[in-house]
Amino acid sequence: MSPPASEQPPSRRAFFELTFGWLAATFAVVASSVAAVKFLTPNVLYEPSLRFKAGRPGDYADGSVTFLEDERVFIVRQGNTYRCLSAICTHLGCTVNRAGAGYHCPCHGSVFNAQGQVEGGPAPRALEWFLVTLSKDNRLLVDKTERVAADKYLVL
Amino acid sequence: MNAPLPKRLWQWFVRSRVGRSVFRVGLPESNLERSQAMVSSFLLHLQPAKVSRHALKAGTTLGLGLISLYLFLILIGTGLLLMFYYVPSTDRAYDAMKDLQFVVSAGLVVRNMHRWAAHLMVLFVLLHLCRVFFTGAYKRPREFNWLIGTALFLLTLGLSFTGYLLPWDQLAFWAITVGTNIAGYAPVVGPRLKFLLLGGNVVGQEALIRFYALHVIVLPAVAGLLVAIHLWRVRKDGGLSRPDEPADLVEQVEQSRLPTNKTYGLMELARGTTPLVGRNPEDDVFSWPHLVFREVLLFLAVVAVVMFLAVFWNAPLEQVANPVHPPNPAKAPWYFLGLQELVSYSAFWGGVVVPGLLVAVLVLLPYLDRGRAGVGRWFARERVVANTVFALCLAAAIVLTVIGSLFRGPNWSWQVPWQPPPAAGGEP
Repeated sequence: MSPPASEQPPSRRAFFELTFGWLAATFAVVASSVAAVKFLTPNVLYEPSLRFKAGRPGDYADGSVTFLEDERVFIVRQGNTYRCLSAICTHLGCTVNRAGAGYHCPCHGSVFNAQGQVEGGPAPRALEWFLVTLSKDNRLLVDKTERVAADKYLVL
Repeated sequence: MNAPLPKRLWQWFVRSRVGRSVFRVGLPESNLERSQAMVSSFLLHLQPAKVSRHALKAGTTLGLGLISLYLFLILIGTGLLLMFYYVPSTDRAYDAMKDLQFVVSAGLVVRNMHRWAAHLMVLFVLLHLCRVFFTGAYKRPREFNWLIGTALFLLTLGLSFTGYLLPWDQLAFWAITVGTNIAGYAPVVGPRLKFLLLGGNVVGQEALIRFYALHVIVLPAVAGLLVAIHLWRVRKDGGLSRPDEPADLVEQVEQSRLPTNKTYGLMELARGTTPLVGRNPEDDVFSWPHLVFREVLLFLAVVAVVMFLAVFWNAPLEQVANPVHPPNPAKAPWYFLGLQELVSYSAFWGGVVVPGLLVAVLVLLPYLDRGRAGVGRWFARERVVANTVFALCLAAAIVLTVIGSLFRGPNWSWQVPWQPPPAAGGEP
């Protein structure tokens, strides 16, 4: 049995009480949910810096592709030009290996050419190129937060 | 009375003042006491005082849900033991695994039991899901319990996945790298979800402690609560599905119609106008001892099998995690290998769309498939279409899993199964 339908509209007091109650309850739920997500989102990361120095330009031989283990990038030197290629596969984040002139991912078999473009496998995007500049103390400075086109070089 | 000595000792104990304070009934002698034994015990009262012969037959459920529950209990027991040695730190986690293997008394067996019980639980929860489908037991009025079961299936996978990272070996590190990158493909929330899950951009210390907290308290607590509701709802929704269910079972259950014409002193509280609606009283037997005996026996069998596996086969432990060198091939746990095979074609379709659709179908199934024909019978003719579709999906999943497990070698290229792996992967 449902309760008998009320003929009377709710009183002004009941209306305000209901409205305020629901507003307060909604606010409490939303605010504590937002706070919980914010709490779980780290504000400081204890990870390797995304901007790092990669040694002197002269450390890299002409025509060489050098893998930096800690940063998971390749430094590519051709003549007097320097570039930095991400070694993280765009598919599912494994570290790619050099294979011939290009790169190969061991996890799901993606193949990239020397320019980082996808030649085969499931990778959805080309490998990323990062901005390389020269620091005041004459070191290569890589900024992984700055993505650049494959044909953008640091020329020395 | 010439009972054996242990029984006489037990009877003397339960009749003593102390025994009475613990066990209200003791070893039951009459049918009334058999009912009271079930109702007066916290652990037993989850089950009915009487149970139909159909429910007791091995072929009705194959005991799959109960086996899953027992594996969950074994996992809690062995997991608690492992917690006394394990440290969720990237510096010490792998050493703790080595200690368990070589230093701690019985440490190896406890870890092996935990590992094999975890694998078996994934398997048996899946088999239980298949049983419920093929007997049509998810249909009205049991739709909500199917939803809870689906949630428990996903929680089982989540528990297994979070536990996979904890040894901090190569297997762990790369399986979690691949798995969390799949989560990153989810539309809109993906990247943020991945960042929250890992507590950063890469799998590191923050990810390890997050997975640990999820694995040892958050997910087990939620799963434990849902298991309790799952079992409770089995009873409240009319018991195990049977071919001879009363015609008005749905109305009885959904309207929570409690009988008004009988006393509550009798132990046989069933919904309906009489305690034995639609059933022949001869079909029912007392749960004590018929059901309880079978349950204890099954528990012993499950423990025995898990211990047997743990004594003869060691859980894998590869080299310590190395973020620079992925193993070749890097493989997820076996139950995700079908998914990984799909992901090797397309991360978005294989990692997000297909599993998302599967979960959506599982959740909506009892509300879409509304007829009640064929409930309680295996592979009922009335359900031939649904059963065939389900069997085809299952076969596809098995084929993909087998391909991913056995036919994929280095570089995820095709290989003949059981070949010795090549000595080393490519150099970066």
